[in-house]
Amino acid sequence: MTIPSAIAGGFIGTLVLTTIIRAASELGWTRMDLALLLGTTVTVNRRKAKAIGYVFQFLLGIGFAVAYGEFFEIIGRSSWQLGALLGALHALFVATVLVNVLLPVVHPRIGTPETAANEIALIEPPGFLMLNYGRNTFLITLVAHIAYGAIVGLTIRGI
Amino acid sequence: MRVDGYAPIEDYALIGDGRTAALVARDGAIDWLCLPNLDSPSVFAAILDATRGGTFELQPSVPFQSSRRYIPNTNVLETTFTTDRGSVRVVDAMTLPDRRLEAMRETVRSVEGLSGTVPMRWRFAPRFHYGAGTPRCEWRGGIPVAACGGDAVAVMSWEAGTPVWADHEVHAQFEIRDGSRAMLALTSAYAEPLVFPQREALAARLDGTVRFWQQWIDARRYQGPWRDAVARSALVLKALIFSPSGASVAAPTTSLPEEIGGERNWDYRFCWLRDSNFMIDALLELGCYDEARSSFWWFMHATALTEPDLHVLYRLDGAIGMAEREIPLDGYRHSRPVRVGNAAFQQTQLDIYGALFETAWLYSEGHHALDYDTGVVLGRIADRVCDIWRQPDSGIWEARNGPFQFTHSKVMCWVALDRAARLADRGELPASHAERWTREAAAIEQYVETECWSDRLRSYTRIAGSPGNGVVDASLLRLPLVGYGGADAERVHGTIDAVNRDLRRGDFVYRYHADDGVPGGEGCFLNCSFWLVGALARVGRRDEAGALMESLLARANDVGLYSEEVDPQTGAFLGNFPQALVHLALIEAACALRGPETPAQRTRRAPSLGAPQR
Repeated sequence: MTIPSAIAGGFIGTLVLTTIIRAASELGWTRMDLALLLGTTVTVNRRKAKAIGYVFQFLLGIGFAVAYGEFFEIIGRSSWQLGALLGALHALFVATVLVNVLLPVVHPRIGTPETAANEIALIEPPGFLMLNYGRNTFLITLVAHIAYGAIVGLTIRGI
Repeated sequence: MRVDGYAPIEDYALIGDGRTAALVARDGAIDWLCLPNLDSPSVFAAILDATRGGTFELQPSVPFQSSRRYIPNTNVLETTFTTDRGSVRVVDAMTLPDRRLEAMRETVRSVEGLSGTVPMRWRFAPRFHYGAGTPRCEWRGGIPVAACGGDAVAVMSWEAGTPVWADHEVHAQFEIRDGSRAMLALTSAYAEPLVFPQREALAARLDGTVRFWQQWIDARRYQGPWRDAVARSALVLKALIFSPSGASVAAPTTSLPEEIGGERNWDYRFCWLRDSNFMIDALLELGCYDEARSSFWWFMHATALTEPDLHVLYRLDGAIGMAEREIPLDGYRHSRPVRVGNAAFQQTQLDIYGALFETAWLYSEGHHALDYDTGVVLGRIADRVCDIWRQPDSGIWEARNGPFQFTHSKVMCWVALDRAARLADRGELPASHAERWTREAAAIEQYVETECWSDRLRSYTRIAGSPGNGVVDASLLRLPLVGYGGADAERVHGTIDAVNRDLRRGDFVYRYHADDGVPGGEGCFLNCSFWLVGALARVGRRDEAGALMESLLARANDVGLYSEEVDPQTGAFLGNFPQALVHLALIEAACALRGPETPAQRTRRAPSLGAPQR
């Protein structure tokens, strides 16, 4: 794996992933907004939160691409199909653990089922498979991550 | 005094933790509790079926009298039972989390002997899923546990007798002496193991819960008249906000009837957009800026899937599916059916567009900037209002025989476009369509003035196009409260007089006298009485408003709560309880009478942008 190819793949993959989720949001299919979720970890200002959130999102996207590359390195091959499969697993992890369980634990402003009157949540909890953000949310997340994985799998070179 | 096993609605008090809530009767029975959330199925529903609903009783086993209060400035209830053998105090609370391991939800019942020796008894009869689920009753480490599907509840007790499982109920008896203490705790879990807290941890959480509520009220900035009533209303509203999301329920109950034996029984455990508008207004008035921001963010987040069309009500998690169905409970004092879900979500109610923009305006007035994306969405919604304001709808009262051209809905569309134009003028909304919004707002005003006024009634009418045979409607009291017509407008005065003349019975106000497509009668809606106070205050009739306010405050139950309606003959409470809209209207009325207007109120009364002046 070459780090530049992973960075390039992560950047393009995140661009596509972000566009898919944003388009789905504009079409009224989901209330998922990853940039807002990530950005509000550091600010309550919605304008700044979204800008910061996009930066976080791209950094995470590149970081995950490097991790994908390490995985490809271990198994000794890479392809867009393998990347897509990894992306699907990634989506499952995001929807069941990362955003649903881990993010509310570290996020100071996201609600959890335990949030009571002595706390104020600014963002509702995502729920299992993030279904609180709309019934199509998991499907959209899955499609977006498969696209991300396929692009990363296609881009990473040097295996 | 119970009739047929049912306590009067006014005999109940609310305890809650911002996630769920329970109703505690004057005789010590918890007759309503949904777990784990406000909109979950019930575990105790004896208020809707005295035999099959489920309850958690705690009371002296000898004849008693009881008096109650909330521990000042809290949602922690204190009931004192007086018997021939002595007296005892029971403190009921839903505890708030602290740093110790707590159960998913906890209800603590702390018992303290005040004098003599009082024999007590308790009975714990959980009935899951509105009485439909048969509990599996077991002992876990000496603790009675009932489970059904993913739900489980345990009742823990200390110095409160030896519990016995019998016929899916736990019973126990004990004596409490002067100065001694006992404790019961209901802990629950959903899809996770039960937690059995220590007594010391529960006592510490109870103390912490009292402290939290008192500190929360101390932080409120309201300094006007009737502070106690406003504070009580604020506490009720805080308990009705679903903390995990920031949404608020209209009431924590379903199907408490609008008429005993009648069928106007509805599920109010949803978030109405219009109530959210009132809620954010009240939260800002009380200085609850964080809660207001949370509610507004939920408001915009929940509507993201449906905009530019808005739904009337949303589930607490932001979803929109809530099919109405009837469940086999007997109903409060045999008032059937008992409904779960609410078919009003399918209706078109144009006034909610006004509610949305009023909320955005108030939020912006409260020094919260609207972000660019929110502004774009609001702009799309304003365009939608321009397209649809001429359509008939079901109106604020959710008439089921419509749709009609409701005057109140038209005025709220005017509010939507008026506020949209103001926000655009301030740079918070894209200004490219602002001219259209201003033009359509003027068109609505012209429509209301020509089609919705009756010379015969000297009032605006309930429905447009009925000047000869129209009737008045209490929703028209909102006109001066949203700044329509200006404070001195003769027509607004005339409408208030018409409501007084045609709909008022003593302190109470009916919504309307007209067919609404639902059989049966109803009581007077208490929010309409408080709207009348607010309207009178806004048009300068402050003495009249103040006198009515004093009378209405005396109509609360013994702990300061109101249900949706009241029987004007007997004063008995009717409808879901306690109702957020009534407590919101109380706060609005108190603020209207408080004295100098706030900047937000002044702006509402300022001439609209481009609207013709009368």
